[in-house]
Amino acid sequence: MIKRRLAAFSLIVALIASSSALLSSSLQAQQQSDRVKQIGGKFMCMCSCNQVLTQCNHVGCTTSASMLKHLEEAVARGDSETDITSGFVQEFGTKVYAEPPKSGLSLVAWSLPSIYLVLGTLLVVFVIWRWRHAVPRAATVSGTSSRTPGISAQDLERARRRVTEETED
Amino acid sequence: MDVFGSFALLLAFLCAAYAFVGGIFAIRTRHPLLVKSARQAGIATCGLIFLATGSLVYLFFSDSYWVSYVVAHSNRDLATFYKIAALWSGQEGSLLFWSFLLAVYVCSVLLVYRNKNGELMPYVGVVLAGVQIFFLTLNNFVASPFKVLATTGANGTLDIFTRADGNGLTPLLQYPEMVIHPPNLYSGYTGFTIPFAFALGALLARYPGEKWIHLTRKWTMIAWCFQTMGILLGAHWAYAVLGWGGYWGWDPVENASLLPWLTGTAFLHSVMMQEKRGMMKVWNVWLVFTTFMLCILGTLLTRSGVVSSVHAFAQSSIGNYFVGFLLLVFAVCFVAYLKNRDYLKSENQLDSMVSRESSFLFNNLILLVSCIAVLSGTLFPVFSEWFSGSRISVGAPFFNKVNIPIGLLLLFLTGVGPLLAWRKTSTDSLKRNFGWPLVVALLCGAVFFALGVREFFSLVCLILCVFVTSTISMEFFRGARVIRARSGASFLASAVDLTMRNTRRYGGYIVHMGMVLIFVGLAGAAFNRDVQKDMQPGSTLQIGGYKLLLQGFDSKVEKNYTSERMIVEVWRDNKPLMMLYPERRFFQTNEQSGTMVAIYSTLREDLYVVYAGQNPETQAPVVHAYLNPLVKWIWLGGLVVVLGTLVTLLPNRRAVLVLSGAPERAAQSASGQALAPSVALREGHD
Repeated sequence: MIKRRLAAFSLIVALIASSSALLSSSLQAQQQSDRVKQIGGKFMCMCSCNQVLTQCNHVGCTTSASMLKHLEEAVARGDSETDITSGFVQEFGTKVYAEPPKSGLSLVAWSLPSIYLVLGTLLVVFVIWRWRHAVPRAATVSGTSSRTPGISAQDLERARRRVTEETED
Repeated sequence: MDVFGSFALLLAFLCAAYAFVGGIFAIRTRHPLLVKSARQAGIATCGLIFLATGSLVYLFFSDSYWVSYVVAHSNRDLATFYKIAALWSGQEGSLLFWSFLLAVYVCSVLLVYRNKNGELMPYVGVVLAGVQIFFLTLNNFVASPFKVLATTGANGTLDIFTRADGNGLTPLLQYPEMVIHPPNLYSGYTGFTIPFAFALGALLARYPGEKWIHLTRKWTMIAWCFQTMGILLGAHWAYAVLGWGGYWGWDPVENASLLPWLTGTAFLHSVMMQEKRGMMKVWNVWLVFTTFMLCILGTLLTRSGVVSSVHAFAQSSIGNYFVGFLLLVFAVCFVAYLKNRDYLKSENQLDSMVSRESSFLFNNLILLVSCIAVLSGTLFPVFSEWFSGSRISVGAPFFNKVNIPIGLLLLFLTGVGPLLAWRKTSTDSLKRNFGWPLVVALLCGAVFFALGVREFFSLVCLILCVFVTSTISMEFFRGARVIRARSGASFLASAVDLTMRNTRRYGGYIVHMGMVLIFVGLAGAAFNRDVQKDMQPGSTLQIGGYKLLLQGFDSKVEKNYTSERMIVEVWRDNKPLMMLYPERRFFQTNEQSGTMVAIYSTLREDLYVVYAGQNPETQAPVVHAYLNPLVKWIWLGGLVVVLGTLVTLLPNRRAVLVLSGAPERAAQSASGQALAPSVALREGHD
């Protein structure tokens, strides 16, 4: 009886151990696959297709397959992202980056859009400011003129038409 | 027929040269006969280009394998459908096709305005002829599509020979959308030549008023609509054919098509400032010039090999000609501007920071920033190579990071801009117009968050989509409610009536609604998933709520290719849903392979299945399945954009009698009284 219980207990323990080993290996595989996707998304495929490595599956591309294999091996070895990146850059050059690194000359690429936006906004604000401040001056000039004639009915009608035209759409 | 085509092209070149030179003399002498002859030469140029294009099409259909271009891009077994597409599948043909589409526009413009705008049209004719001369130079002397295959004989003579069959069309182009995508995109590119010609012509002629803007608005809308359709069809082609699960990869060719679209969109908005307020004249002229130059730059990028692209099916040293033309166009525009800039002075000033005018300025700013960011990103690899000696790639991650915030700002302005008043918007008006949409958008945002939308940009995008939809809906609702109260018609009929009274305004809202749908689709991209697996018959793959069961394979032999299909049964909720057949095609003629993706598309998500070939190690078939949420909304949005553009092109109902009180009218009518209701005569306003 005790022997049978022991056997059953050891079977359960073995089952738990093997299933947890299976689970952990599957989790590890999933983590590795996610890491490959995450790091691979930062490289370009070097077959000149101009696609990101993990997205390149255009027909006949052998480059992406070998690059991905290389990456999977590095991830399986537990190499750090920096090591993997420098390895790829060493092998393929800086054109392997999917996005420019945030250092050196590449900083120009990253900063240009923000610079355009800031400069453009300043310009727009300046233009609006100038246009706004031009109005009172014109009004003052016409208002102080002693020879300003009264508004005729025709002028008034023309002004109304213009207001309608300018505010309709 | 090849000789006929060559001769027609040469004559077209001479006619264009006459239209250009004769046009200049006509402008100087103002001799009516000279004006007429220059115009007729312009029309003749177009007719001759049509004949040359027809000749090349005929050569494809008649399997004329002594013509080099036909040999390179067709074969006997190629379906008739694709023999038309072969016309623009290579460099020489696509340049001729460019000339053809330009000729369609030029011919239409010269005929439509033959008895109108006598002061302006000779200038426009000269500019158009100048552009045609450039393309006809390429067609005749640089990249002629009518070159024949020849060898040098023993006595030094050239012997023409005929090949038994052609090399066939690139497999990537043998897809139905490739028959309609390039014509749309090219129609967009070439269409922007018309506003360019009018803008430059008006500047050179110092043409008074805003008439050139009115004349070109419809042409610009048409070009913009084609460009939009071309971009979206190209995206759909990339999605359905390239098999990488996405629709936009920020490829240089894709970027090249986006650049003039961005500036063209900016122009379509800022032009209203000039029409309504006489402002931004310099800006508008330069926007049109820039849009045209970006069309040329796009061709330069894709044809010259300056940047590498999976889409560039034709590359050569032809880029130098485009650089020369681009510099010439810029020089002409710059000199014309310098000489006539006093003609472009603003007539009005701005009253408030919070106004429609300001929103247009910011809209233009954001579109331009996006354009410059895309352009600098596209060209950065080239510049980095110049400066540092090593090429640094700029791929999709960079463009996404830079353009997503810009796109969201633009989406925000799409909701805000149209509801701001011209000149000045009061605080009350702001509250009235934006209070409810803001509340609805924030509430929906909370719901989206609760439903699990945690990706920041997607959440913001969806909130803004709700906001813009609310503002647009409120506009329709308010207008339709007034009409309904007065006419007694149904709400839908009132909304249609409202739209038809001011097609430009409400058509514009429909276009904005289409853009909202596109943004909804783009927001889904953050939640894309994919699984790749080696599969044998009987094995399954799980992705999201779908289970894919590989039942087996079959193969079929078609005229031009053999295909191997996967037979995949799709299950959902433990019930069989449908069959999908992703396939791989092998084209014998050029020994190339192609994929045909199988897509099960719903409004919620796309199940996208690719037969990705064999695993090189195990030789097992590989299935790559993607689950892409909301993609269908992009294509639907595209359709709505086109619908909205068509509405804006319709003329307004010129005058509408709005009668107050339908029952009163009926009573008056029954009692035989003359109708004397309060009549509001509302002029249609363009």
